[in-house]
Amino acid sequence: MTAPSGPAPAGVPAVRCRSLGVSFGAVRALHDVSLELAPGRIHALVGQNGAGKTTLAKVLGGLQVPDAGDVRIAGRDIPPGDVRAAKAAGLAMVHQHFSLPPSFTVAEALELTAARPGGRAVYRRGDLQRRWQEDVAEIGGTAALSTRIRDLPVEARQSLEIVRALATEARLLLLDEPTALLTPVAIDSLFERLRSLRDGGVTILVVLHKLREVAAVADTVSVLRDGELVLGPAEMSEVSQGRLSDAIVGPGGHADSAVGVRAAAHESTETLLELAGTSSSESAFEPGLTAVDLRVEAGEIVGIAGVEGNGQRSLVSVIAGLTPVTEGTVRIGGDEVTAAAPARRRLRGLRLVPFDRNAEGISRSAPLWLNQSALRLLGRRRGRSPLISLRQYKRQASEAMDLWRVRYDTATQPAESLSGGNVQRLILSRELADGVEVLVAAQPTRGLDFAATEFVRRSLRGLREAGAGVLLVSSDLDELFELSDRLLVMYGGRIVAEFDGPYDRRAVGDAMTGAVR
Amino acid sequence: MTSGLRRAVWTVVLVVVSFLITALILRVSGYSVGDVFSGIIQGAITATGASTSSIRWAIPLLLIALGVVVGFRAGFFNIGGQGQFYMGACSALAISLGWREGPAGLVILCGTLAAMLAGVLWSLFPGWLRVRFGTDEVLTTLMMSFIGALVLQYLTAGPMRNPQGTGQTAASERIPEAFRLTGGSGVSLTVLLLVAGVTVLVWLVLERTRFGLTMTLVGRNATMARWQGINVRRVGLGAFALSGALAGLAGAVELYGPAARLVTGFSPEVGFTAVVVALVGLLNVWGTVVAAIFFGGLQAAILFLPIVTDLPPPALVLLHGMVAFLVTIKFRAVRRRRAAQTEATAG
Repeated sequence: MTAPSGPAPAGVPAVRCRSLGVSFGAVRALHDVSLELAPGRIHALVGQNGAGKTTLAKVLGGLQVPDAGDVRIAGRDIPPGDVRAAKAAGLAMVHQHFSLPPSFTVAEALELTAARPGGRAVYRRGDLQRRWQEDVAEIGGTAALSTRIRDLPVEARQSLEIVRALATEARLLLLDEPTALLTPVAIDSLFERLRSLRDGGVTILVVLHKLREVAAVADTVSVLRDGELVLGPAEMSEVSQGRLSDAIVGPGGHADSAVGVRAAAHESTETLLELAGTSSSESAFEPGLTAVDLRVEAGEIVGIAGVEGNGQRSLVSVIAGLTPVTEGTVRIGGDEVTAAAPARRRLRGLRLVPFDRNAEGISRSAPLWLNQSALRLLGRRRGRSPLISLRQYKRQASEAMDLWRVRYDTATQPAESLSGGNVQRLILSRELADGVEVLVAAQPTRGLDFAATEFVRRSLRGLREAGAGVLLVSSDLDELFELSDRLLVMYGGRIVAEFDGPYDRRAVGDAMTGAVR
Repeated sequence: MTSGLRRAVWTVVLVVVSFLITALILRVSGYSVGDVFSGIIQGAITATGASTSSIRWAIPLLLIALGVVVGFRAGFFNIGGQGQFYMGACSALAISLGWREGPAGLVILCGTLAAMLAGVLWSLFPGWLRVRFGTDEVLTTLMMSFIGALVLQYLTAGPMRNPQGTGQTAASERIPEAFRLTGGSGVSLTVLLLVAGVTVLVWLVLERTRFGLTMTLVGRNATMARWQGINVRRVGLGAFALSGALAGLAGAVELYGPAARLVTGFSPEVGFTAVVVALVGLLNVWGTVVAAIFFGGLQAAILFLPIVTDLPPPALVLLHGMVAFLVTIKFRAVRRRRAAQTEATAG
């Protein structure tokens, strides 16, 4: 099934695994996967959510014991599940999920977990920070080294995980979706770093989601689908984009029809969301808003572009009512809600897809039906029994989840059992169930696979057709260009530019870096 | 097997293991394990008045433990039931002694409401500290509990001390017999119906009201609840208040039931045992009922044992401690395993 690719360099392959198989209960995560990776190259591994990419990475790193097959790294047999042997063979991993201790400062966490040579037993704070300053700066990290991990935004934490892995003397670097939470600028500098590591002889296996990123950095590409290796490793120059995306999605995978969105009926010129001269105080990671003027009308998608950390979080939080407004007004559906509680805004028709879907969008340990029903718990209904019918709640939730094609077994399973794309469907099924006036969608497709991304974008378009307003906050310019009727650019907590389509990538990019005031 | 059933089976296994370990320690210390355990059975079930005594102790344990369950549902660990219980009892006593000539029904009602209010206030202060400043409620409710015990001591030794009282312990006057809901046994149909009604009510609030579901969402992930428009602080304060009200109610039931007067440091363990009861009951209303009856029996046995064996009472507190210890460990282990599973299945 696997043909070693390209001009085979002299010596042993950096990774060779044969007939790997892993099952979780009835689910086949990997099936008969054999793979050889040539040393000194950047290998991309792609596939949909749940295709087995993370499982493969974990097997290679010794974190998952395979049911069948064997792994060799740099010619050395790695006993199944032996993390130390994998490390000794020169492997370092960057995980998808964060593993830095939250109560440590950046410098402490790196020193403790990176096992960098030349460490000392006792440090002064300043020494420790100087020791790591360069590494953090190199990856484009802006975090102060004395900040505690728990106070960092997700993007910064992710980049620290990469700093940590790069700091060791690894010969084989495994990165599991390192770009999922990074800004475009940070992605560029990460790729630059990966290339220079490769040129230094390090072999890199990187799990990626976006074909554009694969094309930008990879030498070879391999595709997993439903736990099987369906393509590769193939030279990037020999694979067309079309063939790649077919391999990823599989036969019939493109058919996933859009979903009916029930929105309140509107006159087409109604302003559904309006911020007038709105300012807010700065938060720990971001500037606050400064005199932001913004309108979203019925039947339009307004995009918010900007390098992350330029006030987008403040913007969404101010609209949601979680951050107080210091000046100016906020109106939803024509009603002033500047000082109104979050609940009143929700009842007025505000719907939200928050930035961090696993932490802010769902309650991971709560059952699906309760996650789905959250909005139904708001508000007082006079004259009705204080008791509710659980059966009715569960039925309504199941119906909505079925409509949005959430894949689940029972409505009582915890939300954490869903994959990323399904979590987003669950969130959409809740937020767009009915009574939508305006949806604020923050990074709604980040980290999602192709099919799920398409699904979300179709849903946003459907919402526009239904006459609702959409405010789309994204760091993916392609997505913004594709969907937005108008595009606003945020920089330093201000709206610095407004564009109408067709969009000029260069001009928007300039505005994002603050070059245009 | 459903996960709920599996957890229940595990809990029973751990309780049995605690008994075995305790038996081993008793054996090594030279006591007759057979005598002790037959004494436990007698003291909890078979001896004259033993099962009544078990129920008598199960009642305050259940009410306070239900409060722990309510708090935990919203993500808070109210372990200060003891102080809330004391303050409830003191308030009911003040009403009852201050209005001796009043109609019994009305006095009892007012006293009970006052007791619940006192419990609310005693738990709402740490609750407010928690939602306003993020102060750890485990510490503050515990501290408030000690303050409550000292307030009780002050009242029974000072302003409320029975002037005719003799003996060394500080105690209040007895409330008029007309105000009592039970005899000295502490169990009567009225009290049983009251407790059953409260239990059903708590279950309904937790499982069948929007407030209950909201508490669950807040307890599982307060950040998500905030994004959903839920007023997390208000829900938290509501949970603390309900939790304290139940412990305060337990104080009133104690006074109008078996106690009739307050003695310094009465029922010193009940508030803390109730935390164990709630954990053994898997923080679920019906599980807590079962656990409360079990621990009520154990409490009755502890009081009975010195009569039939030469075992000092603290020896059985060992059993309490062992159960609490093992169940708490299990609690942590389950959480860790769940976290690990989450990571394993992701991606």
